[in-house]
Amino acid sequence: MKKLWIPGAIVALIILLAVLAPVLGLPDPVRQDIANRLAGPMDGSPLGRDEFGRDVLSRLIWGARTSLSVAFASAIIAGIIGTAFGLIGGWFRGLGEILTVRSMDIILCFPPVLLALLVVTLMGPGAGTLILVLSVLYLPGFARVTYAEVLSARSLDYVEAVRALGAPTGRILLRTVLPNVAGPVLVQLSLAVASAVVLESGLSFLGLGVVPPAPSWGLMIRGARATMEQAPMLLLWPCVALTLTILAMNLLCDGLRDAVDPRTPATRKRFRVVDRLLPGLLPASAPRTDAVLDVRDLTVEIATPRGAIRPVQGVSLAVHAGETLAVVGESGSGKSVTATTVMGLMPPIARPVEGHAWFGGRDLLSLKEPELRALRGGPMAMVFQDPMSSLNPVHTVGAQVVEAIQAHQKVSSSEAWAQAEALFKRVGIADPAKRLRVYPHEMSGGMRQRVMIAMAIANRPKLLICDEPTTALDVTVQAQILDLLNELKRETGMGMIFITHSLGVVSEIADRVAVMYAGQVVEQGSVAEVFSHPLHPYTRALLAAVPEGDEPPQGIPGIVPPPHAFPVGCRFAPRCKFATAACTEAPLPLEEIRADRQVRCIRWHELTSTEAAA
Amino acid sequence: MNAPLIEAVGLSKTFPGKGLFRKGKPVQAVKHIDATVARGEAVGVVGESGSGKSTLGRMMLGLIPLTEGSVRFDGAPMEKASATEWRRLRRRMQIVFQDPYGSLDPRRRVGDQIADGMKIHGLFNAAQREQRVAELLNKVGLDPTHAQRFPHEFSGGQRQRIGIARALSTGPEFLVADEPVSALDVSIQAQVIQLLGELRRDLGLAMLFISHDLPVVANLCDRVIVMYLGRVMEEGPAKHIFAHPVHPYTRALLSATPMLDPEKRSKRILLQGDPPSPSNPPSGCVFRTRCAHARDACAQAIPELRPFGDGTARVACIRAEEIS
Repeated sequence: MKKLWIPGAIVALIILLAVLAPVLGLPDPVRQDIANRLAGPMDGSPLGRDEFGRDVLSRLIWGARTSLSVAFASAIIAGIIGTAFGLIGGWFRGLGEILTVRSMDIILCFPPVLLALLVVTLMGPGAGTLILVLSVLYLPGFARVTYAEVLSARSLDYVEAVRALGAPTGRILLRTVLPNVAGPVLVQLSLAVASAVVLESGLSFLGLGVVPPAPSWGLMIRGARATMEQAPMLLLWPCVALTLTILAMNLLCDGLRDAVDPRTPATRKRFRVVDRLLPGLLPASAPRTDAVLDVRDLTVEIATPRGAIRPVQGVSLAVHAGETLAVVGESGSGKSVTATTVMGLMPPIARPVEGHAWFGGRDLLSLKEPELRALRGGPMAMVFQDPMSSLNPVHTVGAQVVEAIQAHQKVSSSEAWAQAEALFKRVGIADPAKRLRVYPHEMSGGMRQRVMIAMAIANRPKLLICDEPTTALDVTVQAQILDLLNELKRETGMGMIFITHSLGVVSEIADRVAVMYAGQVVEQGSVAEVFSHPLHPYTRALLAAVPEGDEPPQGIPGIVPPPHAFPVGCRFAPRCKFATAACTEAPLPLEEIRADRQVRCIRWHELTSTEAAA
Repeated sequence: MNAPLIEAVGLSKTFPGKGLFRKGKPVQAVKHIDATVARGEAVGVVGESGSGKSTLGRMMLGLIPLTEGSVRFDGAPMEKASATEWRRLRRRMQIVFQDPYGSLDPRRRVGDQIADGMKIHGLFNAAQREQRVAELLNKVGLDPTHAQRFPHEFSGGQRQRIGIARALSTGPEFLVADEPVSALDVSIQAQVIQLLGELRRDLGLAMLFISHDLPVVANLCDRVIVMYLGRVMEEGPAKHIFAHPVHPYTRALLSATPMLDPEKRSKRILLQGDPPSPSNPPSGCVFRTRCAHARDACAQAIPELRPFGDGTARVACIRAEEIS
C-alpha cells in the first residue's frame, strides 16, 4: 500500500489542478500581451510569459487539462473496447478471434503518425480527432494483452470449475476471467495513458492535434522551440510537466497492480550483514566415524519477511558406504533443506548456524564455494526431482554428460564421449550413441531421469543424494529407476541418501530410515525395525495413513506447523493423541535407545510397554 | 446393484494434432470406452499418464465434446440436452481437481467461491447461502470463519477440502474426482480419502475416482477400470482385481507399486521403456510393445473386452486363459 501513496498523490495533484483550472483565478491562457513577450518571472506570472506574452503557468495548467483529458479518454475507450475484444477472441476462438484480435493486427501495420495524418486530413485537427486516433492506436495493445491472458486463464482448473458449476459464459468472463487478467490490463492502461500524453504532445507539436491558441503541452513545446535561444526556460516547463506526469502514472499503475492482487506478500524486512558473517565461528570437532557422510546437529536458519525461521534444527544423520539411508517426511519437514544445505546449494538467505557435515574428513559446512564445487558432481552428486528443469534445454544431453565428466576428469573430448556412451548404456538407455545427440525435450521423463543419474555417477561418487527422484514419474517407470539405483549402489559401493515422502518407496529401496517432522529427526533406525515396530507416535500415524490392505487409511488430524510457529516442546504434540502436558513444556532430545535406533519422544517406553501388556 | 446413474457407451475422443508447418497426427486420448456408475457407487479409473483417464472423466461431465459415443445421465442422453437442460444437469454433477493450487480462483474469498454454484442456479437467498457455506465448510472439516479468507492462506489439504465443498454446494449426485489426493502428503491424503468415503456414504454420491495410485483405489472404490493408452485393459470389482489381476498390464502395474509390507510385494514384473505415444499407438493390443507375453497374434486384432473366469471381471487380452 505504501507504494501507492507518493505516485498517487502526484497524479491526484495533477488531475486536481487540471480539473480546478477554471476556478484557480489564473490569468486567461490565451490572452496575448505583446509588451511582455518572453518576459521572465514577474508579478502574477511566476514562470514568466511566452512568445505572445501569455502567462506560462496558466497555460501549463490549462494545457494539462487538454493533454490529460485526451490521454485518459483515449486510453479508457481503447481499454474497454480492446479488453472486450480480447476476452471474446480468447474465449470463443475461431471466427470471434479473427474478427476481434486478428483484425487488430491490421492497425498495427500502420505507422501511428501516418494514421494520424490520414484521419486529421479527413476530419480536420482538434481534440475529438485526437481521441479517435489515439484510441484506435491503443486498441490492438489491449486486445492482444487480454487475449494472451485469457488463453492462459481458460485452461486453468478454477475456470473449468466454474464451468462445471454451470455458470453462463458471460458470468465466467466477467466474474472469473476478467479479474484475473486485470493486472496486465491495468499496466497496459498506465502505459497507454503515459504514451498518449506523449503522442498528444507530439501530434500537437506537428500541428496535427490541438488547434492553437488553445493551450496544450505539445503546442507549448512547439512555440518554445522557435525562441529556444532567447528563453530556454520556456521549453523546460512543459517538458518537466510531461515527464513528471508519465513517471507518476507508471508508478501508480505498478502499485495498483500489486494492490489488486491479494497474493502480494507483506513488505519485506531487510536482513543484516552481521547475520551472514556470524556462522563458522564455532571450533570444529574431529570426525569420529567411518561414515561417508556424517551430519551432526545441523541447524539451518532462513531470513524471511516474518523474521528468522529454522526449518531444520539439530538434525544428525549418517550414511555408510554401500548403504541407503532414506529420509522420509511430509512437505515442510525440512528433508530437502537438509540435503541442499549439505550440498552447499542453498541460496544465501539460508545458512547453517550450527552443526557439521563431515565428508571425507572435511566439514562441508565450512568449505568455501570453490572447494565445494570441486566436490559437487565429483565425490558427491545429486539427482533432483524434476529432470526437465535440471537439464539445460538448449544443449544435447550428451554434451551435458560430457561437460560433467570433463569438469572433474582431465580426459580428451573423444574419451569423454566414449565414457558418456558407456554411462548411458549402464543406466539402461537403449541405442546410447544415438540418444547422446538428442535434446532433453525429445526424451520422456523416465529417460531424462536416467540421463540425470548417468551425470551423477559419471565421476564415481562416494555419496549420491537423491531428492524425490521418482515423484514425477509413473509407477512402472518409478520401478525401473528404483531398481537401477539399487543396482548402481551395489555395484559401486557408494552411500546413498534417498529423500522421499512415500513410505512404500522407502520400504523398497532403503536399509535405514530417518523420519523427519517439522525440521527434526523424530525416529531413526533400520527400515525393517522402524516399519515393524515404530516407536514414535508420528511414525505410527504415518504408517497408518498409508492406504494398503483392507483397513481404510487413517488421516492425522491437523497440519504440519509452519517453521515460524513450531511448538516449544514436542513438535508433533498438537496432533498427537498420546500427548500430555509434559510433552509441550521443553524441547525433547533425540534419545539413543540402542545402537542405531533413536527416537524423540518422552513417552515411547511407556507407550510400547502398555501395548505389550495389552 | 442399483440402476446406473450415469452410463457412457462407446466413448472416443480424438484431439487434433498440433504442428507448426504441417498438421500433426491426431491424438487418440480415449477409444471406445463404456463406463457406468450407479448411485452410491465409487468407480476407480487407474492408469499412467497418457492413459486417457482424465479425458474420460471430463467427457462424462460434458466438459469436453465427444468425438464418438453417448453419455446418458439418469436415463436421458446428455448430448441431446438443450442449454437450459444443461444448466439443470450441471447442478447434479461436479468435479474435484488434482491441483489444490490451480483449482481455486486466487482473487476471490473462498466463501464466495463455494457460494458460486448456488448463486448461479439461484438456490436460496443470500442469508441462506451464507448459512450453507458455513455448513459445507463444517462438513469438509474446516472452520466456518474460513469463508472470509483467500485461497493462498490455506495449505494444500485445506484447499482440497475447499474444492470439495465447492463441488458439493449444488447438491450433486455424481462426482468426478480427478486425482484429488496425488498432490497431497500422506497424512493429509488419508484425511481427504476418509472425507470422500464419508461423503459417499452420507450423501449417496456416485463417484468416478481417477487415480494412478492403486492402493488408494482398492481402498475407496467398489469397481475399477484399468486404462492404458486410451483403452480399457481390465475392469471389475476392485478387491477382486487387486487380489487376482489377469491382464499383464494390471499385473505389471500392481507389481511396480511400492508396498510397505515386504510380504505383500509380488515379484517385480519390470516393464521395459515408456508407454508409446497416444498419437501413434501400436496395432492390435496397445500394450503388446511392453508385454512379456506378446505373440504375433497380439498385433493382428484389437482384443475385445470379454468376461473372464466367473464373469465378475472383464479383460482385454487374447492370452488371458493361458497366462493366468
